[in-house]
Amino acid sequence: MTRSNATRTAVATLVAGTFLSVSACGVSGGAADVRQGEKTGEVAGEITFRTLQLKPKFTAYVQGVIDAFEKKYPGAKVRWEDVPGDGYNEKLVADAQAGALPDVVNLSTDSFQLLGDRGLLADVAGLDPQVAGEYVPGAWEQFKLPGKGDGVYAYPWYVTPEILTYNKELFEKSGLDPAQPPTSVEQFFDYADKIAAVSGGRYSAFMADPKGRLPGDWQKMGVPILNEAQDRFVFDTPKAVEWVQRMKDLYAKGAMPKESLLKSDDINQLYGGGKLVFGPGSPGFVKDIKQNAPQIYAGTQVAGAVTGKLGHIGIYAQSLGIKKDTKHLDAATEFAKWVTNGPNQVEFSKNATIYPSNARGLADPRFADRGDGKDAETVARAVGAEQLASAALDANTPVQWTNQVGDAVVREMQKAIQGEQDPQTAVRKAQEEANQLLAKSARK
Amino acid sequence: MTADAGRHRRKALAAMEAETGLVHRRWWTPYLFLAPGLVMVALFSLWPFVNTVILSLTDAQILRGGTFVGLDNYTRAFADPDFWTATGNSVLYLVVVVPCLVLLPLALAVLVQAEIPGIGFFRSAFYTPVIASAVVVGLIWQWVLRSDGLVNTVFRKLSIVSEPVPFLTDSTMLLVSAMIVTVWKGLGYYMVFYLAALGNVSPSLHEAAALDGAGPVRRFFSITVPQVKPMMLLVGTLSAISALRVFTEIYILGGESGGPGGGARTLPFLIRQVGLGFSGETGYASALSILLFLLTLVFSLLGRRLSKGDES
Repeated sequence: MTRSNATRTAVATLVAGTFLSVSACGVSGGAADVRQGEKTGEVAGEITFRTLQLKPKFTAYVQGVIDAFEKKYPGAKVRWEDVPGDGYNEKLVADAQAGALPDVVNLSTDSFQLLGDRGLLADVAGLDPQVAGEYVPGAWEQFKLPGKGDGVYAYPWYVTPEILTYNKELFEKSGLDPAQPPTSVEQFFDYADKIAAVSGGRYSAFMADPKGRLPGDWQKMGVPILNEAQDRFVFDTPKAVEWVQRMKDLYAKGAMPKESLLKSDDINQLYGGGKLVFGPGSPGFVKDIKQNAPQIYAGTQVAGAVTGKLGHIGIYAQSLGIKKDTKHLDAATEFAKWVTNGPNQVEFSKNATIYPSNARGLADPRFADRGDGKDAETVARAVGAEQLASAALDANTPVQWTNQVGDAVVREMQKAIQGEQDPQTAVRKAQEEANQLLAKSARK
Repeated sequence: MTADAGRHRRKALAAMEAETGLVHRRWWTPYLFLAPGLVMVALFSLWPFVNTVILSLTDAQILRGGTFVGLDNYTRAFADPDFWTATGNSVLYLVVVVPCLVLLPLALAVLVQAEIPGIGFFRSAFYTPVIASAVVVGLIWQWVLRSDGLVNTVFRKLSIVSEPVPFLTDSTMLLVSAMIVTVWKGLGYYMVFYLAALGNVSPSLHEAAALDGAGPVRRFFSITVPQVKPMMLLVGTLSAISALRVFTEIYILGGESGGPGGGARTLPFLIRQVGLGFSGETGYASALSILLFLLTLVFSLLGRRLSKGDES
C-alpha cells in the first residue's frame, strides 16, 4: 500500500469514526456551582418554562394556567417551550452545560438529582420555607439531596402512584380469591406459582421486568439497600437471594413471559390480550386498557400496591426546578408555585391520569369517590389517592441506585433467573459491581 | 536576479492568461472556496473527535469536568470482561454480516435486473425494509421471533421443536436474530448499488460469451462478478463500517440490557450504556469510542490491502 493511500484510508475512517466517537462525547466540561439570583419582591420579567411532552394534548390547560398567571402579574411574561420525551434529558444536559437552562423546568426524579447535585437549581425551601406545608408529606422531602442539608431543590408537581391491577377471571380460574389480592412480595410469588400451575402456558402471572422490580421488591421484603452511612450497598442478604431463587423457579415454570426478562414494553398488549394476570401498576394504564381492551377492562380489579414490610408505597413526583441564576427569581418562583398550587393541579388531574402533590389538591372530593366500586378507573383513582396519603420516602429508589447501578444489578439477575449462575453468586456479584459504580460516582 | 525572476513569472502568467482566457488568482483563492466545507468538517467532525480523544484521558462524568488520568480508561477497558464480550460480538457481527451483504444483494440484483412485466413491484418490495422505521421493524421481528411468535408456533405445530427456540432470550441466538434483521434491512439498500453497477456491464460481453457457449452460471462468475468487483469492494467497506456500528437491532430485540446478562452487547451498545444517562461516565465511554475507532480503522486498512492485493 502506498503512503498516500494509507493516509486517505486513515482520514476516511477518521471521519467515519468521528461520528461514532461523537455518540460518547457527551459533555466535556463540568458545571461549577453558580451564584443564586436575588429576590427583588417584584414579580416581573420574561421567564422561560419548559415542559415534558404536554403538547398538543394539554396545550389548552397549560396555556390557561400561563394566561391566568400573566393576568395576575401583568409585569410577568411566560415563554412556554414543550420538548418531546425522546431526547428531553439529553437537551437538559446540553443546556445545563451551556448555562442555558430555562428559568422554570419540569424535572423527573433523576434529572432533578443530577442538576441539583451539580448546584444548578435554586433552594426553594430557603427562598420560601412556609410553602412546605402546601404539599403532601413526602413529596416536599423528596426534593432534598444527600449532603445538601435541609435545602429543597424543586417544587413537587404531579404524581403517579403505584397500584395493583389484575384480571379477575384469570384470578378465579387459578383458584385465587379476587377479594384477597397479595400484600407482600412473598405472597405475590405464591399466587404466581398457583397461576403457573393452572395456566398450562395459556397465560402468565406477571412480567419478570427485573429492572422495574428492583430495588422495590427487596425494600418491601425488608432487605436493606444501603448501609447507615448511605455510602455502600449492603443488599447481599439471604432475603435478596431468596427473591432471585423464587424468580428463577417461577420463570422456569412459565409464570412470566420469557421475553419479559429483557423487555417490559408490551405489558399493555399482553394484559389487554388476556394473557397476563397482573397488569400494569399505574392508574394511567387502567385508562389505556379501558380504551384499547374494553372486555378485559370490565374484568379488571384494582387494589393497593404490594407494600410488604414497608406497609406503604413510595412517592415519585414530577417537579418544577428553578434555574439557580435566573434573572427573574421572583417571577420564576411565583410561577412554579402557581402551576403546582391545589386548584391548578386538580384541574390538571381532570385532563390526565395524574395526582396532585399538593395537599389541598389531593383533598379534593373527586379523589375519594369510588363510584359504585365496579368501574376500575374510578376505583384506581381512589386507591391511588389513598396510597399517596401515606406514601413515604423509604419506599423510593435511593439516589445512589443510579441507572447504571440498576443495569449492572439487572444483568446479574437475568443470568441467575435463566439459570446461568446461582442466585447467591448473582447477588454477591451485583453488590460488588454496584459498590464499584457507587465509588466512582462519589468522586466530586 | 530575484527581480528578474519575478518579471519573468509575471510575463509568463500574462501570456498564459492571454492564451487560455483563465485569470490567475492569489494562492489562497482555492482555499476560500473550500473554507465553508472545511469549517463544517472541522467543527462537526474533527473537533468532536479531538474532544473525544481528550475526554478519553480524563475521568469526566456528565456535567462534571474530569481530571487527567492518563491511560487509566484504556487499562480499565482491557481488564473489563464486558469490553471483550462487546468487541467479540462486534467482530463476529462483522464476520457474518459482511459476506452476506456483499453476496446476497448481488444475487438479488441479478434476479430483479431482468426487464419483465411487474418487476418494478419486486424491486420496490425488496427496498421496503430500508425505509421501514426501526420501531416497526422491531415490532415485526419480535412478533416473528418471540417464544410464542410466528416461527416458534410453526415449529411447534410441525413438531420440529418441543420447547420454543430462544431467539430473543439467549445471547447467541439474539445476536444471530439481530444479524438476520441487519441483512434483511440491508438487502434492498445494497441491491440498488448493484443494479447501478450491473447497468454498466456491456451486454455485448454477455452476448459474445454466450456465442462461445458459456452458460448463465459461467457468465455470472466470469463476466458479471469481475465487472461489479469495485462495487463489491465498496459494499464490503460500507457494510463493515455499519456492522461495527450496530446498535438498533440489538436494542429493539434484546431490550436495554443488551440481551440476558448483557451478553449480546456490541461495542456501540456498551459505549451508549456507559456514557449516556445522568450517571454516564463520559471519560470511559470516550476511551471505548476511540478503541472502536481503531478497530474500524484496522478493518478498513485490511479491506483496502485485500483489494489492492487482488488488483495486482
